[in-house]
Amino acid sequence: MAARGHVQDPNDRRLRPIYDYLDNGNNKMAIQQAEKLLKKHRDLHCAKVLKAIGLQRTGKQDEAFTLAQEVAGLEPTDDNSLQALTILYREMHRPELVTKLYEAAVRKVPTSEEYHSHLFMAYARVGEYKKMQQAGMALYKIVPKNPYYFWSVMSLVMQAISAQDEKLSHTMFLPLAERMVEKMVKEEKIEAEAEVQLYFMILERLGKYAEALEVVRGQLGEKLTSELQSRENKCMFLYGRLEQWPECNALSRKLLLKNPDDWQFYLSYFDSLFNLIDQSWTPPEEGNHSAEGEVHCSVAQAIGFVEERLASEEVKETRPLRGPYLARLELISRLRQRGSPDEQQLGEPLELMFQYFVKFGDKPCCFTDLKVFLHLLSPDHYVQFVNRLTEAVPLGPVGEDGVALPGDTRALQRHLGAAQLSRCLGLQHALSTDGKLALIHELRAHYRHGLQFGTSCLKTELQFSDMYCLMAAHVYIDLWIETGKEHVLWQCLGLLEEGLAHSPSNAQIKLLLLLLFCRLGAFEPVVDLYSSLDAKHVQHDTIGYLLTRYAESLGQFAAASQACNFSLRFFHSNQKDTSEYIIQAYKYGAFEKIPEFIAFRNRLNNSLHFAQVRTERMLLDLYLDADISSTLEESVKNMSLCPEEDDIPWDSLRDNRDLDVFVSWNPKVQQLSKEHRQLSLEEESLWLRLRSLTLRLAGCLSGLCHSPQAPPPATPHAQRNAEKSAENGVASKPADMQPLLGQLERTLGQAAQFTDKHAHQQYPFLGPPPTRLPQALANGSCQCQLVALQLPLHVQELETSGLDQSAELQAQIANLFKSLTVQLQDMLNKCKGDLLEVTDGRCRAQPSLLENLVFFVETVCVVLWVSSHCSGTLRPLKSSLQKKKKKKKETSTVTPVVLSGFQEFTASLQTLLSQAVEQIQDQESSLTALKLEALSLEGLPQAEDERTFIKAAMDKVQSSYLRSLQEVGDLLRKRADTLKSLKI
Amino acid sequence: MAYMTTLRGFNCDDLFKFNNMRLFPYPLALQYGIPFYLQYLAHWPEYFVVAEAPGGELMGYIMGKAEGSVAREEWHGHVTALSVAPEFRRLGLAAKLMEMLEEISERKGGFFVDLFVRVSNQVAVNMYKQLGYSVYRTVIEYYSASNGEPDEDAYDMRKALSRDTEKKSIIPLPHPVRPEDIE
Repeated sequence: MAARGHVQDPNDRRLRPIYDYLDNGNNKMAIQQAEKLLKKHRDLHCAKVLKAIGLQRTGKQDEAFTLAQEVAGLEPTDDNSLQALTILYREMHRPELVTKLYEAAVRKVPTSEEYHSHLFMAYARVGEYKKMQQAGMALYKIVPKNPYYFWSVMSLVMQAISAQDEKLSHTMFLPLAERMVEKMVKEEKIEAEAEVQLYFMILERLGKYAEALEVVRGQLGEKLTSELQSRENKCMFLYGRLEQWPECNALSRKLLLKNPDDWQFYLSYFDSLFNLIDQSWTPPEEGNHSAEGEVHCSVAQAIGFVEERLASEEVKETRPLRGPYLARLELISRLRQRGSPDEQQLGEPLELMFQYFVKFGDKPCCFTDLKVFLHLLSPDHYVQFVNRLTEAVPLGPVGEDGVALPGDTRALQRHLGAAQLSRCLGLQHALSTDGKLALIHELRAHYRHGLQFGTSCLKTELQFSDMYCLMAAHVYIDLWIETGKEHVLWQCLGLLEEGLAHSPSNAQIKLLLLLLFCRLGAFEPVVDLYSSLDAKHVQHDTIGYLLTRYAESLGQFAAASQACNFSLRFFHSNQKDTSEYIIQAYKYGAFEKIPEFIAFRNRLNNSLHFAQVRTERMLLDLYLDADISSTLEESVKNMSLCPEEDDIPWDSLRDNRDLDVFVSWNPKVQQLSKEHRQLSLEEESLWLRLRSLTLRLAGCLSGLCHSPQAPPPATPHAQRNAEKSAENGVASKPADMQPLLGQLERTLGQAAQFTDKHAHQQYPFLGPPPTRLPQALANGSCQCQLVALQLPLHVQELETSGLDQSAELQAQIANLFKSLTVQLQDMLNKCKGDLLEVTDGRCRAQPSLLENLVFFVETVCVVLWVSSHCSGTLRPLKSSLQKKKKKKKETSTVTPVVLSGFQEFTASLQTLLSQAVEQIQDQESSLTALKLEALSLEGLPQAEDERTFIKAAMDKVQSSYLRSLQEVGDLLRKRADTLKSLKI
Repeated sequence: MAYMTTLRGFNCDDLFKFNNMRLFPYPLALQYGIPFYLQYLAHWPEYFVVAEAPGGELMGYIMGKAEGSVAREEWHGHVTALSVAPEFRRLGLAAKLMEMLEEISERKGGFFVDLFVRVSNQVAVNMYKQLGYSVYRTVIEYYSASNGEPDEDAYDMRKALSRDTEKKSIIPLPHPVRPEDIE
């Protein structure tokens, strides 16, 4: 707006103060100023819109909307109003209204380039591809600029990408786009690189690789200059697709001659080579081998080529490149895979890898480089290999503690590399318990010794020897898994605490601590650890699972809410963020980024973690509040939960979890496999299904109103509820619950099958945490909740049939009440015991008691919601029965079974909850009484500083358990208080 | 120089790898919000390049842009961010990425390449000097305070490209400037 020329529009001057108020967040003054202005200038529409923006920002959405529509109805064509309305609609999250606005504007001013272009962008924001195509062409007709034409072409490509019907894409949209570009090519109107890129994109999507190759290699291809090696990379891709192996090979060779360190071209060189060998390809007797020059088509040539690259490294004065050395190992690996004896010509892998270690062992990446080639060693040479590596590490003399130590960081890195390779070959795992303890002793010595090299490190930098600390921790974990001895774990925690004290920025130490505390059931220390990781945006999706998996299940409800909120805030901002940049990509002609941005948005919207936090957050709110601070109905309404809708995109769920987040040098058999990943996703999905069904059933339950034939509700409370649900239109019938209950039952069946089948398949310790599913099935909470949620159906039936003719049904319901009591009691029994159990100098953590307790509380919540519904139905039945009795003057008839059954049920619930509260109190006092520092625990080290770190870790666990017990106890007490309202 | 890697354009899926704490032990790589990355991808995709290791791990990345007035001979390439994972340091990767950005800027007809660096970051300053950069000016309190650290000055370092035949663009300014005075 600023660049409107020298003659200032008087309206701009008048509106300026309002803009300023809005910019400064002074919405009230903006509204006042707008009103003042409107008194004088009734027709200054923009002032109305600015007022509406002020209203919108002060929470008066409805007023703002009415005002906006008033102006929009006039179909304004002044810039000020249009732009202000655009801003307003965007803030209202109604981008589709912007399209209406500019549709009207171009109708009135059909020659305006500006309005047409705004219209195009408005369509882009909402993804109206067909209309974009038309708007782009309309623009091009007014102003024949190339970008407008290609906006239209790109919109066709987007129609192709988004079409459900792939055939339609390939027979209609893409060919049309291709023809549009060809027309420009024929008329020699292609101007920009972006246009050639788009042409390439279209041909690629059509699978017309030969045509694409012609474009890239031809005159148009000369425009591809922004990216380095853009033409070469595209050619290489196309040669691969077209299986033009001679060209592929020759080009790879050429590029490797230019840069013998570019790994991707070694791969394409070898791929093409072996394809040529398999095809018995021979070069033509005369002329060029291929369009890209000389072709290698025999193993001898490949060996020669790699050895030439190596030879030129050997004579170089500067640092040697790693590429040729690794290419040699890669070639050996491929020859061995083909069973070719030629590999011997390249040398003995053990020797070559040893030489590699000698050359590059002081680089931190040496381990990563060699890891992929370890399979070339035969298992009976592992020890020999590691011994040779170790001998090549320059260490000082053996010290007092029997450990020889490095004199500088290069030697340290070498020693560490050898240890990493040794672990990866399984040599550490093969050690006896004593061997492992000795190894830990050695690693700790190296860790402490190495700290001296990093005394001048900044707080944000890592210590050179941090990896020793982590490796020692991994060996402790091996020992713990092997022996089950708790003290090993305490020592591991102590060591990591020590490591963190020396290296406060080390995310790996924090992550491992976090994982161990979670496995021990102590969530409190995790909150600080996670927040110190300073996770940003996408990380909430990729590693948020570490937090949300444990917070609620360990009874730290406040922290659980917070954890969900972190993630949800990120996911919700994503939608807004991306559409802005899709538009920018059109403006700058970054066409290939447009589908990419959209795919990115979808990947986040379909995230498994997103669906989980959405569901868990709502469940948590219900557990904590529903029927406590507000009724279940109100709670459900507040979270705008729509039980009849399933909002989880089951078929396109994306598992964005980063399951490789933990550094590890474990041997291949102990690494996370594809099957593990698949299994974990399956397990997570099953659990999510159960949770989401529970949530939706709770939503249904909240909407149940008692049938209209039933007598008017007896209590004012029930009456209010009935009216409310009627006026909100959320009333649902018990019949709505039926299909969901069916689904819940089926899913439970599948879940039980799944856990049975995979009971013995555990994920690696550093892999994905198991879900709550196995425990939920084992402790009976799922089954108990299912029974509870089925009750409303039976009670509904009873309501229809009345008390007189329903003895059998009543008995059935009464039995269900009894069964619920028994099941709950059973669950409570599984929570008995000390969370920290000290016997014979061993301190054992029992986190499963805590998790069972949380399941118990969750189940109590569900049972109480259902009971509240039952009491609402039974109460009027009882009172009408009493009226009848009065009329007939009967004095002593038997109370109907269902009524006495319910009274007994609520009475036993009362007992059960008191018992639970008491049990928790006992657990709390026994924990408080536990003076850890006074204990002399088995296996604890002598050294005072080590002991300090261990005790600190134990204190954290103890304090966390107490907090969990308090939160769970508080919730149970609040729930117990609601029992009164169940009286009938 | 030994980097043994594949250089390729950054794409949105890299944001998911980017967070990898195994490679980037502190979230250096994610110092900006998503909109910032998307803006660069939409506007200067060729300037946003990652180095990928044979195993698919991200080794490092560079992010830059072209800006400035051609008429005033200020059209140049700018390095917005450069980061190499600790595991892949000491391989010359940063130099390779810088060289690539310079080449792209050459093709665009830039007069120079510039970057900002904390005056306290001696390691980085020395590295850039080795790559041919020199301090053009000091920008006072360019980095605002965070985590209890005070405001910090930046060096604006430059390297002339071939279009600036007389290397006019890198003649150091005699006085420091304020952040609001820079383009």
